[in-house]
This record gives sequence, C-alpha cells and structure tokens, in this order.
Amino acid sequence: MTIDRARFDQGLTYDAYKDQMTRNRERVEENEQRVDLSKEDLAAFRALPRPVKVVVLAEDWCGDVIANLPVLGRLAKDSGKLDVRIFLRDQNDDIMQRYLNKGQFKSIPVFVFFDDAFRELGHWIERPASVTEVRAKRRKEIFAAHPEFGSPDAPVDQLAEDVRVRLQAELAKMRDDTAKFANAEVVRELREIATRVAA
Amino acid sequence: MTSAHKVKITYCAECGYEPQTLDLAKTLMLEFGARLSCIELIPWDGGTFDVSVDGELIHSMTRDGGFGDNAAIKEAVRARLPA
Repeated sequence: MTIDRARFDQGLTYDAYKDQMTRNRERVEENEQRVDLSKEDLAAFRALPRPVKVVVLAEDWCGDVIANLPVLGRLAKDSGKLDVRIFLRDQNDDIMQRYLNKGQFKSIPVFVFFDDAFRELGHWIERPASVTEVRAKRRKEIFAAHPEFGSPDAPVDQLAEDVRVRLQAELAKMRDDTAKFANAEVVRELREIATRVAA
Repeated sequence: MTSAHKVKITYCAECGYEPQTLDLAKTLMLEFGARLSCIELIPWDGGTFDVSVDGELIHSMTRDGGFGDNAAIKEAVRARLPA
C-alpha cells in the first residue's frame, strides 16, 4: 500500500470528518477550543516552505482521537500549512496495517506526514509516551493516596459502587489537570515531524 | 442450594463501546437466563472492555486485545457455572 495523490484525495477534510461523526463531536470541538498554541509553535508551522500533507486514521468513538485530533485540526487551521485528509480506520485496513502500533495494535489516531511528492516525513501514533508516563505516575499517586481504591492493577468492577464513582471522579480530574501538558506534548512532537520537510 | 453467579461488563463509555456491551449482554441473557443472578454494566473509561464472572476476569481488552469473541466469552461463562 502506498499513499499517492489519488488515495490522499479520497480522505475526508477535517470539517467533512466532523460532519460525518455520529458521536463525540461536541467533545472534539470543546478540545479544539482548549488547545493553546504558542507563538513559537505557530511560527514554526507557518514557516514551512509549503503545505505538508497529513493522512489521518481515526474513528469517532476513540478517546485518543477525541483528545488529539483537535490539536492537529487547530494547527492546520491556524497555520494554513497542513493539508489534512482523514480516513476511517475500520474502512481502510490497508493503511492501518502499515502503521500498527508496535507492529501489532490498531491504535489511533495515526498521523502520517508527507511532502509534495508523497515521501513520508514521519508518523505519529495514539499519544505521546510522555503523556502516558505522566498519567501513569499520577494514577499511581491517586491510588496511593486512597487505599480504598485498592490496587491500580485490579479490575474496577471489584470496587463498591460508591468507591468506583469517587475513583472515576479522581481520574477525570487528573486527565483534566494534565490536558494542557498533553496538548503541548502533541504539538511538540508534531512540530518535530512536520518541520522535517525540505526547505 | 442454587448459588448466585454474577457477570460484570466494564466498558469504556468515553469510547462509545455501548453497542458491543449491549450485544454481549444480550448474548449472555439469551443463553443463560436466570442461571445468572445479575449482569452488571459498568460505564468506565480508558479504553476498558473487561468481563468478569464472580470476580474472575475472563476477558480484558487490555490483557487479551479487542472486544473478544462473544461465543468464546459465552463458553468461558458456561465453564464457570454449575453443570
């Protein structure tokens, strides 16, 4: 499978993708508003010599897509230098097979960056490792501070309902608290790939 | 004495796993009827799709990958019920 102009053009634009969403559109648009792009980051994207093409694999039910696709959407909109086309993962398995996470998992979102000649500049999968690490650490801290939550590795269905509700609230707060850091990490990693385009 | 057997399905509501959850719940309801004392559906997050019988995890998306095959999960439940 190779991505060429014809295949690229079959993808959905960012707005067309949002129009076909059957769920979570309001969360995507809420996250778009929350993305805080620095002047330096925007300048780096705006300084690209020509637009970079980005092939995206996504599905509207995926939490990492809901969190991270809006970051790419804002970068594209605010910089004018990213030409994004989105493919639904479950209808485009040929593309998915090429970008499996660790060679085996169909993790999304996948962002693949191409130059004008459709030479791949690099690709990005799911979420930054730094975000996974920070959230895992914060999660451990929450469990350490609340012995009633039991083991962080135990299935949550073993908790009493009232305890489960409190744990869910703590985890939601943790994700909210780390959202700004997570968005900044996504921007940093995408910037590093996009700016590989030759001058 | 008849013992109570409880199935719990913990699913990622954030991800929209409701269709798979309801499909599995329906499969188990139709297969086992009153042999199960309860099928509990627990909305969660983080890409979770876990199925347990009487506290024993028989399928986990994190551990086993994917939603699992309903027929295989059904047999795993059956194996934990009295003959």
